[in-house]
Amino acid sequence: MNTASHLRIEGLTKIYGSAAAVEDVNLDVRQGEMLVLLGPSGCGKTTTLRLVAGFVAATRGRILVEGRDIASLPPYQREMGMVFQSYALFPHLTVAQNVTFGLRMRKLPKAEIDRRLEETLDMVKLTTMADRYPRQLSGGQQQRVALARALAIRPKVLLLDEPLSNLDANLRQSVAREIRQLQRAAGLTALMVTHDQDEAMTMADRLVLMNEGRVQQVGTQEELYEQPLNPFVARFIGHSNLITGELVDADTFRLPGGAVMKLARSYAQRGPHTLALRPERVRLQTEGDVSPPRATARVEDATYVGSHVDYLLSFEDGSSLALHEPTGATGGTRRAMGESVAITWDGLNERLFDADGITVSAMTAPGMTTA
Amino acid sequence: MPGHPASAAALRGLVRLLVVIGIALMLIPLLMTAYMSLFADGVVTFPPSGYTLSWYGRLAEFPKFGQALGTSLRVAAMATLCSLLIGVPASIALVRYSFPGRSALNVLLLSPLTVPGVVIGLGLYVLMVDIEIRTEFPLIGSDWVLILAHLLITTPWVVRLCVANLVQLDRSIEEAAANLGASPGRVLWSVTLPMMRQGIIAAALFAFIVSFENIEMTLFLISPGMITFPISVLQYLEYRFDPLVASVVVVQTAVIAALLLAIDRYVKLSKVV
Repeated sequence: MNTASHLRIEGLTKIYGSAAAVEDVNLDVRQGEMLVLLGPSGCGKTTTLRLVAGFVAATRGRILVEGRDIASLPPYQREMGMVFQSYALFPHLTVAQNVTFGLRMRKLPKAEIDRRLEETLDMVKLTTMADRYPRQLSGGQQQRVALARALAIRPKVLLLDEPLSNLDANLRQSVAREIRQLQRAAGLTALMVTHDQDEAMTMADRLVLMNEGRVQQVGTQEELYEQPLNPFVARFIGHSNLITGELVDADTFRLPGGAVMKLARSYAQRGPHTLALRPERVRLQTEGDVSPPRATARVEDATYVGSHVDYLLSFEDGSSLALHEPTGATGGTRRAMGESVAITWDGLNERLFDADGITVSAMTAPGMTTA
Repeated sequence: MPGHPASAAALRGLVRLLVVIGIALMLIPLLMTAYMSLFADGVVTFPPSGYTLSWYGRLAEFPKFGQALGTSLRVAAMATLCSLLIGVPASIALVRYSFPGRSALNVLLLSPLTVPGVVIGLGLYVLMVDIEIRTEFPLIGSDWVLILAHLLITTPWVVRLCVANLVQLDRSIEEAAANLGASPGRVLWSVTLPMMRQGIIAAALFAFIVSFENIEMTLFLISPGMITFPISVLQYLEYRFDPLVASVVVVQTAVIAALLLAIDRYVKLSKVV
């Protein structure tokens, strides 16, 4: 994978009436990279994909492929291969005719069309299905035809709109792997849209998390999970407890009800903040724990789910916190309901956001890592 | 209780009974007509004094049988073709594009359905007579006037059926074609129209039947020398009620049925309507 950006999106904006469906989106997709747009429904990820495909005209912004702005080109001149959520196969054409559709539109010589048909069907293992009609195929096979049809034109960019959402759960993983293999083998730059976090995590080289038409964070799986840039990212990727309170001194966080937490790191700011803690990165204080207790809470509920015990804790003011305790260390024993427990966490697992949702960095101190 | 076996069986029995009644209601007039066409008496009386097939040998005696059936088939075929040429592009425009006056066009294309055929017929008649007087050009009784008039009642059906068909087609299939490099014209020709095939066939069938069986509007636009088939039956019945008219209707029904069967060889009609 080289580092040159192959698809570049600059200031892309789409306004419907007075509402912005997509606002000032800037993205760089490298040659051969799979970038996955993730977000809740209505976040603008699909509109972004449709803007790139050319089905929706941008209000402003540029879409550069290999340095050339294609934002004003109609879809049929964009050289993009798209796999639709519904597959959108031509129902009146056979598998072979579906796959060669784009080649025939390009008026390629017959020998070349036949060669690519064979090659593409071979890639998706559908050689024996060439003369079938889409309605005679299973969902997974239709999906592969859709993929083959998009790959056959050797697109500059592969666009995938929720490609796995119509498949049975047990098929998804294998199809996801297959799509990834084909995309890597062809060295294709790909942009995929999904609302499914697991799917995004599995498929992506890098992720783009969107909300309300705006990009919230771009990064690898690790970056989004470990270093969320704002509370939305922290909550959407995995789960996070978001606790609102006030920084009263460098490491004291006071909840609205008066309960106090001792933070793992020190901060220069004061005033209202949001603390993000992942359930599996907070632990019940045990004897000999290296970290001091940071807060006390009451056990509201404890559910044994196999890999961990799912605790629901509450603070004095009624705000609650989810905590996952791995069963390996405790043998699955649970604390009693109503028991008062001390909790703790390490500095790396503590994320603090100011009132505007912006990450607050800890003060550098000897032996401490800053975020 | 729906899940109970006894009541489920009772429900199935009821549905079956309703189906039988429905089929009987549709078939009885047809069977009665066929039965009457076999009566030997010159005036339909019941019970008949005997049975004969001779009425079928005397079809040619039915006044204007050939001319009327020919006119009806010709007018229906032309009205169907022309209403498809108007209705199919119109429905694509209505469903796939937004343009000023779109809803007005929609109302305009469907509005003839809301006006009784007699009123349209009378209105057209007055208009034609007026034009004839001014231009001294004979219009009443010409095929083209009938075809134009029938377009008023066939086009709304074509638009309705094609719009219904288009609305349920997955829009992304057309986007896929564009994505693969098809220009808008190619998308229309290679994807949209082939996908509308069933809707278009259903529309053509409806248009043909609506035109063929129309009496109330057509009544005003025929001339003594040129009438349509249903009107020839109507006129005949005004003076006589003999088995000949029954045999004529049986033959006409057979012609239409043969047409439908022929079409069914190419498209399964049960799937389109």
